[in-house]
Amino acid sequence: MKYAKIYADDVNVGDELPPLAKGPIQQIQLTRYAGASGDFNPIHQDDEFARAAGMGGVFAHGMLSMGFVAQALTDWAGAGRVTKLGVRFAALVRLKDVVTCRGRVVGKSSKDDRHLIELEVWAENQRGEKVVSGRATVALPARG
Amino acid sequence: MPTRLNRAVLGKEFPPYAVTVERGKIKEFARAIGDLNPFYLDDRVGAASEWGDIIAPPTFATTFRDETADTNALLRELGTDISRVLHGEQEFELHRPLQPGRTYLCRAKVVDIYEKTGKSGPMAFVVRETIITERDELVGAMRSTTVVRL
Repeated sequence: MKYAKIYADDVNVGDELPPLAKGPIQQIQLTRYAGASGDFNPIHQDDEFARAAGMGGVFAHGMLSMGFVAQALTDWAGAGRVTKLGVRFAALVRLKDVVTCRGRVVGKSSKDDRHLIELEVWAENQRGEKVVSGRATVALPARG
Repeated sequence: MPTRLNRAVLGKEFPPYAVTVERGKIKEFARAIGDLNPFYLDDRVGAASEWGDIIAPPTFATTFRDETADTNALLRELGTDISRVLHGEQEFELHRPLQPGRTYLCRAKVVDIYEKTGKSGPMAFVVRETIITERDELVGAMRSTTVVRL
């Protein structure tokens, strides 16, 4: 269940995040993200500019896809639990693309009262091509 | 192949800048992503939470810009322009969530420049690190890798 409270005790290596599908990406979302983030690079807004730059047209901000990946993490782990998120932007996300964010638990550690879960995270488009890949750490409470 | 990027930029430290987080900016950012988590959007949920107020999504620090700086100055100094750059990698570390009304100090520095030849030709990678503190306490850091098509 989305936003359900999750405890470190209940998480195991190999567990998968519930996939989060975002999109289809529309120009209005890129314009909105530009305003919200302050990234007004015309390559995400102006098709002519993007073509002249040799990019074959407008594409989404990498940071928007990273925001989607962060949402997949927080929908599962809870808001405020992500302590580290690092990604590589592997391929461009285009208009009409659907971006599905996924993740898998690859490690678990506890130090004092801090319980850290390491995940491999990625996002893929509707053709199954990876557009984002990276790693994340979330800090979860323990039961009792 | 001789580099066409100005490597003298390596190690460059930018003037520190302060950012005071606006409540509405957090909500606008979350909505732009389509993330309607009540811990970002609902003041009452925030007030009742362990943080005492709403918090920002994990990637919110990307909005921390030096409003007084010319954003294209670094690109010019590197010898490129915005039509040649792509966002290659990004990393955030957060010791605690960012919150409205707080003032954070950002210190950014160019920590690495390297080149590689990929399938689409020669590219340079410029890594910028920003350390985020609040009242001298470390809150987080972000590392951003910009890819320059040479």
